[in-house]
Amino acid sequence: MSRSAARDAGDSPGHDTLWRLAAHKLLRDRAGLLALAVVGIYLLAAIGVWLGWWAQEWALITGSKWGPVSAEHWFGTNIIGQDIFQRGIYSTATAFQVGLLVAVLAVAIGALLGAVAGFLAGGWVDEVVLWLLGVIDAVPFYLMVAAIAFALADYPYSMHVAMVSTFWTGTARLVRGEVIKLRGLEFVEAARAIGVPGVTIIFRHVLPNTFHILLVKFTLVFVDAIKSEVVLSFLGLGVKEGMSWGLMLSESTLEFLAGQFNNLIVASSLLFGLVFAFNMLADALQDALDPRRAA
Amino acid sequence: MAPHYGAASQRPSLQTADLRHAVSRRDVRRAWRWQNAGVLSAVPRKKPFPRQCAPGRALPCLLALVLVACGDRPVPAPAPDAELPAAEGIKTFHHSLDAAPSSLDPVQASNVYANHVVLNAYDTLFAYQYLARPYRLKPNLAAGWPEISADLLRYRIRIKPGVRFQDDPAFPGGKGREVVAEDVVYSLKRQFDPKNRPQGAWFWQGRIVGLDAWKEAGSDYDREVPGLRALNRYTIEVRLTRPYPQLLDTFAQGYSAVVPREAAEHYGPELGIHPVGSGPFKVVSYDTSRIVFERNPYFRQEPVDLAAEGYDPATQRYTGVERIAGRSPPFVDRLIIDFASDEASRWNSFTKGNEIQVAGLPVEKVDEVLESRDPLRLKPEYAARWQAASGTEAGFVFETFNLDFPEFGYHPDPVRAQRNKALRCAIIKAFDWEAHNQSWFFGLGNIFPGIIPPVVPEFDPTLSRASVTHDPEGARRLLAENGWTAEQLPVLVYGQMAGVRSRMFFEQFRAQLMEIGWPQRKLVLKQYATFGDISRAWKESRLPLIVKGWGLDYPDAENTLQLFYGPNGSPGSNDANYRNPEFDRLYEQASVMLPSPERTELYRRMNQMVIDDCVAITGMSRKRIHLWHNNVVALPDREIVGGFFLRYVDVLPPGESARPAEAGG
Repeated sequence: MSRSAARDAGDSPGHDTLWRLAAHKLLRDRAGLLALAVVGIYLLAAIGVWLGWWAQEWALITGSKWGPVSAEHWFGTNIIGQDIFQRGIYSTATAFQVGLLVAVLAVAIGALLGAVAGFLAGGWVDEVVLWLLGVIDAVPFYLMVAAIAFALADYPYSMHVAMVSTFWTGTARLVRGEVIKLRGLEFVEAARAIGVPGVTIIFRHVLPNTFHILLVKFTLVFVDAIKSEVVLSFLGLGVKEGMSWGLMLSESTLEFLAGQFNNLIVASSLLFGLVFAFNMLADALQDALDPRRAA
Repeated sequence: MAPHYGAASQRPSLQTADLRHAVSRRDVRRAWRWQNAGVLSAVPRKKPFPRQCAPGRALPCLLALVLVACGDRPVPAPAPDAELPAAEGIKTFHHSLDAAPSSLDPVQASNVYANHVVLNAYDTLFAYQYLARPYRLKPNLAAGWPEISADLLRYRIRIKPGVRFQDDPAFPGGKGREVVAEDVVYSLKRQFDPKNRPQGAWFWQGRIVGLDAWKEAGSDYDREVPGLRALNRYTIEVRLTRPYPQLLDTFAQGYSAVVPREAAEHYGPELGIHPVGSGPFKVVSYDTSRIVFERNPYFRQEPVDLAAEGYDPATQRYTGVERIAGRSPPFVDRLIIDFASDEASRWNSFTKGNEIQVAGLPVEKVDEVLESRDPLRLKPEYAARWQAASGTEAGFVFETFNLDFPEFGYHPDPVRAQRNKALRCAIIKAFDWEAHNQSWFFGLGNIFPGIIPPVVPEFDPTLSRASVTHDPEGARRLLAENGWTAEQLPVLVYGQMAGVRSRMFFEQFRAQLMEIGWPQRKLVLKQYATFGDISRAWKESRLPLIVKGWGLDYPDAENTLQLFYGPNGSPGSNDANYRNPEFDRLYEQASVMLPSPERTELYRRMNQMVIDDCVAITGMSRKRIHLWHNNVVALPDREIVGGFFLRYVDVLPPGESARPAEAGG
């Protein structure tokens, strides 16, 4: 948090800042901490994959068809003899890669456009941004994402582009509303009065005061991105290279008739665990960062 | 025809089984999709919980059920038979196909589904014997075998008198008239009229005197074609430009079905949804999910002669087909065919007992349902309800290298060309057919070397199996000997239709190449949304590796050898763009020969050339297991006989068994 934001949030001797209060509250939230720990474990698994420590043989055939659970294959093997656990762990990295990339970009774009639109509310810039929000939101989400992903079929990041181009709108709406509220406050009026340029006001004084919203929104977009990735991959519109839980779930449809469920169980359990933990974390952050509760 | 791997449609018959292949047939191909969806519905009804869902393991199962329920759903169940009008007291045979026909107009019967349906609404001059294996032709609308001139260039075919088209408003007074020789001539001409968007002209292109010129001159139906004439009311004369030993086989295809001119002119393009023929059944309703036929009351009376149909009591008596001897088909009043792409849905419908009466056994169910694969035997609990038969498909699945890619194929530098050949040979050695067969076909596939599949008489069972033996060590050695390193190996794009099964085919292929040192990043999957898309990629020679299947149009190896005939290169059926002058010479020599040991020898030499030049990773013919309810008298076939078998199906009252008592019924 920037210094000015901290000051704006009431940082003065003898008073806790919003952030300090929030951290204090979060540390007392056992469910929130548990969720944070779970997310941390997933993140560690993903980092291990990125650094080449584990799950590097996910593409190799290391066992027999539908090999049973064993010390070598913790969750057995799939229809062509690949290790299901390794594929599941590798998919964690995919989930984080998609989640992080999409959440960072979508929240950044949403924050930027939302802040500008909010600060210039009523002007033509605001009109354009609102029109864009309306147009994008009018298209059913999965239809929009599928159309973009399909149109960019050969581009390895087509799914990311599709998700970013739709996920930023929620953040933009929230930030716009918050900025409209903030721009009428005294510190903004004061900045204007002493001649601080509008851009500076937005980026140094207004936007930092929306960080608590952005942080919560980031976790929600992160979860949405992971879920969408799974759905799109299941439908064949998602991950092009590599492995993902969606692909594993899709793969598991080949195995039901034969009574094989390991792919399904591993992929859905890992997905469930991460999404559940992230949702709990988002709830905890929301509680902690809510100024009324934090106070 | 050749399906894409994962989609296969074969023509006059082929299996539906898996297919990573889409069957194409020269220019005319159509894919059928893998059946990936609706899996939940496939849980056997008699088995409330799968093995993994034993008590105490409820959480995983609950998760599984929730996820599946949220995922892909089964195809909506077709309306029950009871909803059909006047169903009571009507003998109905109900079965399904895994995709809908593209059109019911014979000139567009370009895939197995269309062919299957067209052959029941229309007549063809010849047909395949119902029970003979290997397959044999027989006269159908033709009154007998043709008179053939000594030079094999002139055929005179006499058709049966008294055969009539079904009643239809297209005819004066709505009454069908007699089928005459002019109808046969007209129907074949339609294949050469661009207005019909015909897809089967390649059968006869350049073969019948004057037919191509007739097309060039504007396709005027009133203008006579010298090589295709009606000599009188019942006799057709066909004159060929060169001998064409497969001519009569082409007259057993849906493409050659006999269409009345009145109907073609009356309905125009709508003939594709409104068939008017002289076949055993008449279409009463048709949409993308179902077609309903009723018996054609005017279908000619021809008592079944089992001997003439190739009946073999020793192997076929159990089917109860002796019941139809001496009776005139068709034997059912109503024929219903559902088009359901989802295999699990079809299986559910079959096991339900009161819906479809014939189904293919999903490979995933083989171990559960079969007591023995060879000889084929059902477990007792299933044998009490069903009958079974198996057969090897009339076709095969394979992968060809596109030799027009200098990275893998022909190269102006002879040294590089030789290294490319070594590269292809190494890939062939790396490919593990056994693993492929076990993973996707439960070991039911018949792996064979070369491009002459086991179903044709020219198949050579003594051929060396080196080209279908997994030999990663040999592959690595070959690469090393020819100077191929991981850095030098080219990027290999594996084109496939979109779908999870084709993706897994790729993963298996990739893992096998990684085993010989091919970098993972240089093995790229390119998926195509539709069969049309990938077909265009083949025709435009945009893929270095073509993954497909081929369904034989007729039981003659010529039909597969033409896939490697130089002049058939892209956009023709020779997707490999294989150009071997010696191969082409032998092909041209053999193509005008009647079946003989000499011709077989030429076929086998060509086959060996394809193997030696490492042109294709080939091949495997899949085995299909048909199941049908005990009260159905039939020997189902999706191969060469295809749609012809439906007219011979009879249905006994529920509870009765067609199986003779001495056969255990």
